[in-house]
Amino acid sequence: MTADSFLFWMLAIVTLVGGLSVILVSNPIYSALCLAMSMVGVSALFATLGAYFIAGVQMIVYAGAVLVLFVMVLMLFDLKTELATFSRGKISGLMKIAIVGLLAGFLAGAFKTMTFEGADQAATKAVSTGDTTKALGTLLFTKYVFGFEALGILLLVIAIGVVGLARSKGGTHAKH
Amino acid sequence: MQNIDIITNVGLNHYLVLSALLFVTGMAGVLLRRNVIVLLMSIELMLNAVNISFVAFSKYLGKLDGQILVFFVMTIAAAEAAVGLAIAVSIFKRYKEVNIRFFEHLKG
Repeated sequence: MTADSFLFWMLAIVTLVGGLSVILVSNPIYSALCLAMSMVGVSALFATLGAYFIAGVQMIVYAGAVLVLFVMVLMLFDLKTELATFSRGKISGLMKIAIVGLLAGFLAGAFKTMTFEGADQAATKAVSTGDTTKALGTLLFTKYVFGFEALGILLLVIAIGVVGLARSKGGTHAKH
Repeated sequence: MQNIDIITNVGLNHYLVLSALLFVTGMAGVLLRRNVIVLLMSIELMLNAVNISFVAFSKYLGKLDGQILVFFVMTIAAAEAAVGLAIAVSIFKRYKEVNIRFFEHLKG
């Protein structure tokens, strides 16, 4: 077993266990911690795929910003007594799990039968080795510059809108 | 020998299957859980699963466009988490709980 495949399997297990724990643990703060574990695993997977800059951004944005946001909001709430963690109804729950399993089966079957044009051997091409950050920046500011600007405007709108939404009628502990 | 080859020779399909499993996990969370915050976390899991397959395709097809899309997905995910949490805060203000069933009163 080579180092690459060992790393992949270890990270896959970390990511999947983290993801499963997010939905199985009943305390939301533990869910947030498991999500952090999963995010770090995903970030390391990006690094194994040669996308080092994306891996760093993933660590900063997800494991840093988004998770801190989740944990802060969780601390605003007092969620020690959660009455119904999972949705009620055995039959509907079984149907949901069956639907999810069906989707997983379809996807796995599709991947098994599918072959991608030019894939598999293309991994050794020059673009995947070495530093891709410069090429990434060039692409972002030439071909995708419109999307980049649009996302900037979107983030501005979201930031103002969220503050307005959360602060209306006096914040978290408003009396009404 | 076939079994050992699947384990040692990690290729595009491995990453895609991992991505599918993570996506399905997130979907199960969205369907089964009732807490809005955990629901949002499950959505983040699904978005991350998509990111894995984007980056895997980007490597194995030798094109960088997939990584740009990962940027965009991350931005959208952060925005979505912010809006979702703000709505959760406003739900909590009224009902002192963040169960998904209170979202039917969101209209006013």
